[in-house]
Amino acid sequence: MSYPVRRIGESLITLFLVSVVVFAGVRALPGDTATALAGEEPTPEAIAQIRESYGLDDNIVVQYLRYVRHAATGDLGISSRTGLPVLDSVLEALPVTLELSALALLLAVVVGVGAGVVAAVRRGRPEEWLVNAVALLGLSVPAFWLGIVLVLAFAIAVPVFAASGFVPFGVDPMENLRHMVLPVIVLGSGLAAVVMRQTRAAMLGSLSADYVRTARAKGLSRRQVIMGHALRNSLVTVVTVLGLQLGHLISGAVVTEQIFVLPGFGKLTIDAVFSRDYAMVQGVVLFTSAAYILVNLLVDLAYSVIDPRIRLGGAQ
Amino acid sequence: MRQRTSGPSDRPPPPSRHRPRPAALTTLAARVLCVLLAGATAGCASLASPTAEVGADRMADPRPVRDGGTLTIALKSDPDKLDPTLASTAVGRTVFAAMCEKLYDVDAENRIVPQLAAAPPTTSDKGRTVTIRLRRGVRFADGTRMDAKAVKTSLDRHRTLTGSVRASELKPITSVSAVGEDTVRLRLSKPYVPLLALLADRSGMVMSPTALQRYGTGFASHPTCVGPFRYTERVVGDRIVLDKDPNYYDADAVHLRRVVYRTITDGNVRLANLQSGDIQVGDQMDPVQVGRALTEPGLQLFNSPSLGYYGLTLNIGNTKGAGAPPGRIDTPIARDVRVREAFDLALDRGLINTIVFQGRYRPTCGPLPSGTPYATGTRCPARDPAKARRLLKAAGVATPVRVRLQISTTPEDNRLGQVVQAMAKEAGFAVSLAPTEFATGLEHSRAGDFQAATTNWSGRLDPAGNIDAFTGTGGAQNYGGLSDPAIDRLIAEGGATASGADRRKIYARLVERIRARHTVLYLIQPTNYVSATKEVAGLKVFGDGLIRVKDAGYAKGGS
Repeated sequence: MSYPVRRIGESLITLFLVSVVVFAGVRALPGDTATALAGEEPTPEAIAQIRESYGLDDNIVVQYLRYVRHAATGDLGISSRTGLPVLDSVLEALPVTLELSALALLLAVVVGVGAGVVAAVRRGRPEEWLVNAVALLGLSVPAFWLGIVLVLAFAIAVPVFAASGFVPFGVDPMENLRHMVLPVIVLGSGLAAVVMRQTRAAMLGSLSADYVRTARAKGLSRRQVIMGHALRNSLVTVVTVLGLQLGHLISGAVVTEQIFVLPGFGKLTIDAVFSRDYAMVQGVVLFTSAAYILVNLLVDLAYSVIDPRIRLGGAQ
Repeated sequence: MRQRTSGPSDRPPPPSRHRPRPAALTTLAARVLCVLLAGATAGCASLASPTAEVGADRMADPRPVRDGGTLTIALKSDPDKLDPTLASTAVGRTVFAAMCEKLYDVDAENRIVPQLAAAPPTTSDKGRTVTIRLRRGVRFADGTRMDAKAVKTSLDRHRTLTGSVRASELKPITSVSAVGEDTVRLRLSKPYVPLLALLADRSGMVMSPTALQRYGTGFASHPTCVGPFRYTERVVGDRIVLDKDPNYYDADAVHLRRVVYRTITDGNVRLANLQSGDIQVGDQMDPVQVGRALTEPGLQLFNSPSLGYYGLTLNIGNTKGAGAPPGRIDTPIARDVRVREAFDLALDRGLINTIVFQGRYRPTCGPLPSGTPYATGTRCPARDPAKARRLLKAAGVATPVRVRLQISTTPEDNRLGQVVQAMAKEAGFAVSLAPTEFATGLEHSRAGDFQAATTNWSGRLDPAGNIDAFTGTGGAQNYGGLSDPAIDRLIAEGGATASGADRRKIYARLVERIRARHTVLYLIQPTNYVSATKEVAGLKVFGDGLIRVKDAGYAKGGS
């Protein structure tokens, strides 16, 4: 079996296991969904009717099979809290989280790789200390604190960016940017610091390797040596780190979306968990897991392209 | 398919986002520096301009407004279903206030006034028949006629739809009939005076029969009622957009083009968005944020006494769940009313208000809010730890009496729990705090899995709404398991007595009896605080806490 086919198969099995764990997990939460749904005046009659309406009295296996049967046809159910189709809410939230994550990733790669290269090339000089200090700050500052400070500074004191909310890019690109800058900085800064440190370490290793010495001896320019040889060979490490950190990027989006009131997956999940909205939690987690699994799959496939030994090893 | 329609064209004409001018750059730079240095906790008080303290109740802003613009209102939580029959959250009522009118409404003096009804109801057959005459020439948002048949369809749906949260409150209604085009007759199984107040809430909302037939249980995705604004779109967790309804019978009086409700759960973030101008109105501002809002020259405050209360519920008999017959709980606080009275005497309501709620709410010791016709004006007993200790001694219990207090995870409840803990200690109690997430705490309370728990009720206009379900035997929210024939008898009398004067006497006796049982310890009457930017005028915030936007808009000539 070829390496890509095997990895795709593994990913599908993982997704199935995730669905089982999530389904059982949300039902293991303390707090009764029917009571939560009955709101301020939870009469026994209303609670009983809600249980009946949402099939909550059925056996958990029956509920799971019903869920899988519907999910297989693209029906993720109706939100018990809002009465709206889960799929609609998920599809509305998806672009927000995707845009936030993608921009944060872009920021992390551009800033992190660039700063990492500078730190490695300018080793022992003030530039390296400065980059290290900024990276340490990026790693240490909690997202919620950074978010609040940025809002106070750049949405209230100097009102350049929006304090919260989301405007789709398709509706108004400039407004979209105004709303996304601060969340992207908050979400991307930590990852940028990680990427910078890994790039710097990998570059330091590469710059002292024999092939770099050989390249220099061949008379290649400094730029060609750094960008064409040292950086390229360091990218396997960076791609690995990015793959591992993407999970943190998605989980970090939960906090960022709360701070900036972005209607993405994070906010949707938290609201759903607190109201014991089973269908919504399952839908969101299933989508998030699928995204995470897909990203890991792509990273693994990218590995095999960058380093053929992985592909061949897999084939053996 | 819902459209995302917010964009620059939706923004209000005079955005309160002040662009920096050269002359102000130094100040702005100082502000930024201050913010960066102080971080999120300290703030920059010295740079803020102080304004007046909260004074008397301020429920409306009478300034004239101009037509047009979008008003963005931040809600504390995301409303549930936008279906009057199935909705159960208090915050959802605020959205309904703009798009789903009711047979009756509440005015600034907490009086019930006709809304879709043309006049107060008439009763006959010793209160068992209620006749309601409807306003004529009214159309739903979909253009269809609002008439007696539509009211019958809506009331029958409230009474019978599976999962209806309204069904229990409309239980006394045995039948609804349309008598002509503009008259509805309700037959009741017994005289039920609180019905009028219920028809001034979600039970009195009238839905378009055409829309009900078309969308069925999906009505929440297309709520169609009579209101100054009609439903346009909802993005779950983010916003609900309503647009001015040209079919509305009083459309000429509506100024705003659009109202957007956004969910911003964190009070600090709500305030930050008000300050930045991204929202114009912040609902349910906490006392801490009210204090900060008062230092902002660009903001104004609306405040009205709420109809609800904060309190503590002591479990004396809830062993099988609320609604089930009470059982026996073998703890000192459940066994002996003297122990509960001692616990009550340990608490200083004034100090609780000062410490927990920044002195911005009102101490209370009964379920009926001030500012309503049934307010009893009961003077709260002073804190008396010495008397409390004497009561514990007389009860013969070993001290300290251990009490586990379930609190929610909000900052207010945390502070309340700590203050109660400290006060009770002096009187001979050892209170341990059990912070519990909302849904879990609700289940514990309902199941009777608690000794003492904080209680927060948003309140209802009719006294029955604040009493019956909480203290009547088998009441759906009688989490303390109180069962007292005298209380049950007075509840029944209060519900069936039409005369206001007689009802007042009954509820005065009822409140005294409830207080004597010390099962629900009423502590605080909250205040509804709504903060808005100064450009906004015409807003109304009455005792029910709902923000009324029908007359709202942007002030003529600016603020």
